[in-house]
Amino acid sequence: MNILKQELRMGRKSLIIWCLSLAGILVLFMLIYPSISSQLEDFQKVFKSFPLEFQRALGVVDLKLDTILSYYQFPFTYILLAGAVQAMNMGVAVISSEVREKTGDFLFVKPVTRNRIISMKILAVLVQILITNAFVFVAALITVTILSAEPYNVKLFVLITSSLLFIQIFFASLGLFVSAFLRRIRTVLPISMGVVFIFYIIFLLNETLKDEKLGLISPFGYFDLSELSKTMNYDSLYLLLWFVLVGLFIFLTFRLFARKDLPSI
Amino acid sequence: MNVIEINQLTKYYGKHRGIENVNFSVEEGEIFGFIGPNGSGKSTTIRALLSLIHPTSGTATIFGKDCIKYGSELRRNIGYLPSEVFYYDHMKVIEVLKYSASFYDDVDYTRIQTLADVMDLDLNKRIDDLSYGNKKKVGIVQGLLHEPKLIILDEPTGGLDPLIQQKFFDLIRTENKKGATVLFSSHILSEVQKLCGRVAIIKDGTIVKIENIRNMQKHNYKKFTLEYRGVIDVHHFNLDGITNLTLNENTLHFLFKGDINRIVERLQGQALLNMLVEEPNLEEIFMHYYQKED
Repeated sequence: MNILKQELRMGRKSLIIWCLSLAGILVLFMLIYPSISSQLEDFQKVFKSFPLEFQRALGVVDLKLDTILSYYQFPFTYILLAGAVQAMNMGVAVISSEVREKTGDFLFVKPVTRNRIISMKILAVLVQILITNAFVFVAALITVTILSAEPYNVKLFVLITSSLLFIQIFFASLGLFVSAFLRRIRTVLPISMGVVFIFYIIFLLNETLKDEKLGLISPFGYFDLSELSKTMNYDSLYLLLWFVLVGLFIFLTFRLFARKDLPSI
Repeated sequence: MNVIEINQLTKYYGKHRGIENVNFSVEEGEIFGFIGPNGSGKSTTIRALLSLIHPTSGTATIFGKDCIKYGSELRRNIGYLPSEVFYYDHMKVIEVLKYSASFYDDVDYTRIQTLADVMDLDLNKRIDDLSYGNKKKVGIVQGLLHEPKLIILDEPTGGLDPLIQQKFFDLIRTENKKGATVLFSSHILSEVQKLCGRVAIIKDGTIVKIENIRNMQKHNYKKFTLEYRGVIDVHHFNLDGITNLTLNENTLHFLFKGDINRIVERLQGQALLNMLVEEPNLEEIFMHYYQKED
């Protein structure tokens, strides 16, 4: 437990900043809603005038901007994107920082197994992801409830908001795997930004192409917010795929780290 | 009983050699020196003992148990001081030490203060405000605070001033007297000479020699300094057992291993101004080991 406590302590500052910025951006975007809700029909007309491919890329093909939740999914897409970067940052950094900051010679000579160190670090990432999600969820719930004049679909709200949790867990485990795979990581942010944006671009491309195989590549497609409002549930195939991939990444992280040499200083 | 036993330990980093067929053992209660220049494989050997790296072949046991397989269990009784110490920058010294102590059972927390007092270390400073030498002190306290049965020191004295070095050596000696076995790696031979009983010399990843320090100094080598009146005929000393022969104007230096009478024979009829026969220091012996193959 001491490792978990230490990890949470070290990540505390960055966690607070991430929570505040994610919730802040979301609330800020939502505050625009009342002032534009009367003009939403005009927006819809504007969107409809775009070429179809463009509409798809923006996720506005079957858009009905008549409820607060259909507006909510726009800012939330960016929350997903930013949240993915946050989670991947944590995943990549949590173990590799011991090598980068050269503290590995301290931690890895303690009487704990590597597997235990890695489990505790993964647990620390999970706890931080849960805190982030709880914070964003509560902030979003309060904002949407206050701003919505009429009752809204609570299930859809929960589905949209919870997709952050799934996206974050996916990218955190991917980050862990990447950090186990690469020998030495000098900077974390370029890796996580790069990977997250590549996946997002693949997702956007596929919104236009609608290729089923390509859809399997990007986790953003697994939790496509515009699909959610139609089906009112997560796609079970994608959910299964998510589960398998996360499991695989975590498994490989343990496997690779067990045999890894700690580079000398 | 052997605390450390290393058998044919080999480590390659890809094609790059780390160590090759390293063999030596450290007996319980001794202070064992491990010398070699930078890059000779001292740290690689030590890192394999601590299971920070995995050997390519060969085995190493500590307290009779395989050091990779039983790594976490064995490390309970090992105190390690790396050559360069790094800790979590934003933490205070005391926090790092408490974190370190939290990994061990039954740690006497008053020892933190005691050791810090001996080493003259301020516990309330932040790690990133510490100088190199002070960080090293944190490393020393951290490595000794759980009263390990085996202390592994990897070039421990860098950055410490002579006074603190002395205190540190005293501390190691005290722990040794209490029963701790010490593996002391260094490239500074005088400190090994001061502290260690036996020593292993490593060069280019292989052990060149393991010897008792006293044998090495007393029984094998003499250091000669001859001052001549006039010209010196160097060929006169073209003799088996003579090494490190250097000529300085009219002064001749060399190390000699063997029957001393043979030197005396050669000196008869020579016009000497002065002559010194001394115990060589380890450094000189050491250079000899290194030059042998060059």
